[in-house]
Amino acid sequence: MKKLFAVLMLIALFATAGAASAEWKPSRTIELIAPANPGGGWDMLCRTVQKALTDEKLVEKNVIVVNKPGGGGATGWNYLKGKKGQGEYLAATSTLIMLNNLLGKSELTHHDFTPLAALQTEWISVAVEQDSPWKTVKDLFEAIKANPSAVPVGVGPTLGNNDHLVFLELAQANGVDPASIKFIVYPGAGGEIVPALLGGHVKATVIGLAEVLEQHKAGKMRVIGVSSEKTLAEILPGVPSFKEQGVDVVFPHWRGIIGAPDLTEDQVKYWDGVFSKMVETETWKTLVKNLGWDSFYQNSAEHKAFLEGSTKDFDELLTQVGLKK
Amino acid sequence: MDVIFDNLAIGFATAITATNILWVFIGGLLGTVMGMLPGLGPATGVAILIPITYGMNPSTALITMCAVYYGAMFGGSRASIMINTPGDASAIVSCFDGYPMTKNGEAGAALAISAIASFIGGTIGMVFLVFLTGPIAAAALKFGPAEMFSLMLFALVATITLAEGSLLKGVIAMCIGFMLSTIGIDPLTGIIRFTFGVEELQDGIDFLVVMIGVYAICEVFKNYKNLDTKYSLDSRSIGKVWVSWAQFKKCILPMLRSSPLGFFVGVLPGMGASIATFMSYAMEKNLSKTPEKFGKGAIEGLAAPEAANNSCAAGAMVPLLTLGIPGSGTTAVMLGALMMLGVRPGPILFSQFPEIAWGVIASILLGNIILVIINLPLAIPLVQLLKIPQRIMLPLILGMGFMGTYFLNYSSFDFILVMAFALGGYIFSKLEIPLPPLVLALILGGTTEQSFRNSMSLSDGSLAIFFQKPISVTLIVLAAVSLVYSLLKRRKYAS
Repeated sequence: MKKLFAVLMLIALFATAGAASAEWKPSRTIELIAPANPGGGWDMLCRTVQKALTDEKLVEKNVIVVNKPGGGGATGWNYLKGKKGQGEYLAATSTLIMLNNLLGKSELTHHDFTPLAALQTEWISVAVEQDSPWKTVKDLFEAIKANPSAVPVGVGPTLGNNDHLVFLELAQANGVDPASIKFIVYPGAGGEIVPALLGGHVKATVIGLAEVLEQHKAGKMRVIGVSSEKTLAEILPGVPSFKEQGVDVVFPHWRGIIGAPDLTEDQVKYWDGVFSKMVETETWKTLVKNLGWDSFYQNSAEHKAFLEGSTKDFDELLTQVGLKK
Repeated sequence: MDVIFDNLAIGFATAITATNILWVFIGGLLGTVMGMLPGLGPATGVAILIPITYGMNPSTALITMCAVYYGAMFGGSRASIMINTPGDASAIVSCFDGYPMTKNGEAGAALAISAIASFIGGTIGMVFLVFLTGPIAAAALKFGPAEMFSLMLFALVATITLAEGSLLKGVIAMCIGFMLSTIGIDPLTGIIRFTFGVEELQDGIDFLVVMIGVYAICEVFKNYKNLDTKYSLDSRSIGKVWVSWAQFKKCILPMLRSSPLGFFVGVLPGMGASIATFMSYAMEKNLSKTPEKFGKGAIEGLAAPEAANNSCAAGAMVPLLTLGIPGSGTTAVMLGALMMLGVRPGPILFSQFPEIAWGVIASILLGNIILVIINLPLAIPLVQLLKIPQRIMLPLILGMGFMGTYFLNYSSFDFILVMAFALGGYIFSKLEIPLPPLVLALILGGTTEQSFRNSMSLSDGSLAIFFQKPISVTLIVLAAVSLVYSLLKRRKYAS
């Protein structure tokens, strides 16, 4: 009897030891939190990730998308913050997680969560009217320098966002006082800015490339530069990047995934495995291409270091232009 | 002209297949239900559909999503009419006369005319979409900040003149609405205004929260006093879901006037169905020979906004189809779904994917016919709700109101707001301060302020900008004329 008991104890011991060293796996439905309404960039990211994970059978549990809009992401992220240590809860994120904090809109930073991956990026472009005399970014800023009041620049949905920051960086690099630029803010973003430029109410805009790409191709307006490292030969041939035009501004408008606070190493390892496989799948690549995105994968360690570096850069820029709170 | 009919033929050939008809039916039904539930609107309905559309060809996907959109426009007013709770923003105005009609024992007629008016609005919208898309899209581009501000001014003046009784009280209500609209992050500077450190107020106050408070919950307060009185209805009149010829005749002109108005407002960037419905209501009241009946159950006061919101939905397709940019939250979701399928709507959609563009246009007619077929019989079980005694009905309304509030932002903070507005609405009704100017000012406040400030930036601070542009001048003159006209009319009544 004693022997049997000892054997049972031994088995039990091995079993627990085995369980502890076994890899972590989601034990229930995976919740992808889009901290915005349906239709926006975060929502689209969550829906593409959901489709790629499901279609390619990269996870064994169901994946659902939950929209929690409000506070420029704060509502959804606060919800995630409450799921401490639970690896089944993920949320979409972007530069806003740093900017909102620096602009004094939110207490949250990426330190409150477990950064898991950057997944894709969009590039930001500067566009002008089709018959505009300005062919390069330098032309545009010469004109602004000469008479800022004659060059209203459309931006949206609010000041202090990525697009606005790109234009401020460009202004600095071109020796133009950022405070002199006449920004016209459209809270409806692309939906209002594109018609405003087509109708000639603004003379230039700084905006996500996807929102003006088709207009550019159809010859309705002209994109004069993009925030990527090099010319985007596949989608936008013939339009050099800012850097290639001699203006040293490279600015990815990336989006990624954060996990709940205090995830264990095993949990992080699991998601690193899943996302590194996902970005290589055909489903993901096709969706990224269809949506006009560019791949921008960083694993958890790379992403964390990237976030630290960017926070510092943004802090400097916002302090210089007087937007930091 | 021949080209248009050729294209239309392509469109109908694309739209009318057994699969599409099935999906339009399913989408329309889903949209109607989404629209009926307070807080859930067409954008959510379309988002729910996205995973289902993965397997479809792009035109079927878009047609199905459109069906949800139009279905929500049909369904949105059901709850407005029955329990004074707007299903979505475009159904706010339907409360003004729809609910009084129910109280007068005409719920059946109200539900029927709203379905018929929706059908007529949608059909006229489709005809406009076929023949006028090009010129109207071009005209909409002329609307810059100055024109936008003048349009807002016109809409606001029109609503003040709507106010019953004291003009001063109407202005007071409007000012309160404006003040509420300034709460939250100012998009033009990023500065947080009037939130007093409450993080939940950063995005501003959702006007649907205000609506549910001042209309639905407040209605419960009002009825609580006479809990045991029943609606003076006999069950035979409840069951009848149809309008008499006399009633229909009153609605013909209002529907025909409101449809073009709604369509054009839908085309303008940043304008929503709520504005279209308010403007059509104001227009009809000002044109009516019996304006005193508005707000007390005038059938034309329900038919006009219902027609306007459906033609507005057709108008919202113009920027999507001609420019590839979303004209509303719902079309933004549609755009995303289309892009996932590999179709990028842009200025050349009509030549690049004619079967999609024209298929969608044709499906509007198909969708509207199917939706009328869904909605008229659906009204029969709905009106039976009126037989439920108040002791049961009022808690149900309260529950629906709270559920709708939560669905808007998934925030329990909104419960506090909704109760505060319910109490505020009750006090206002005791003081006889009218609510429509408040609600409209709250909806338009943001756009009015931003278009004014953007105009000022553009003109370097000169007010002359509003008088240099022909469209802007016309709208300001119209606003002035309607103000003077209504003041004169009031004096005549007073003397």
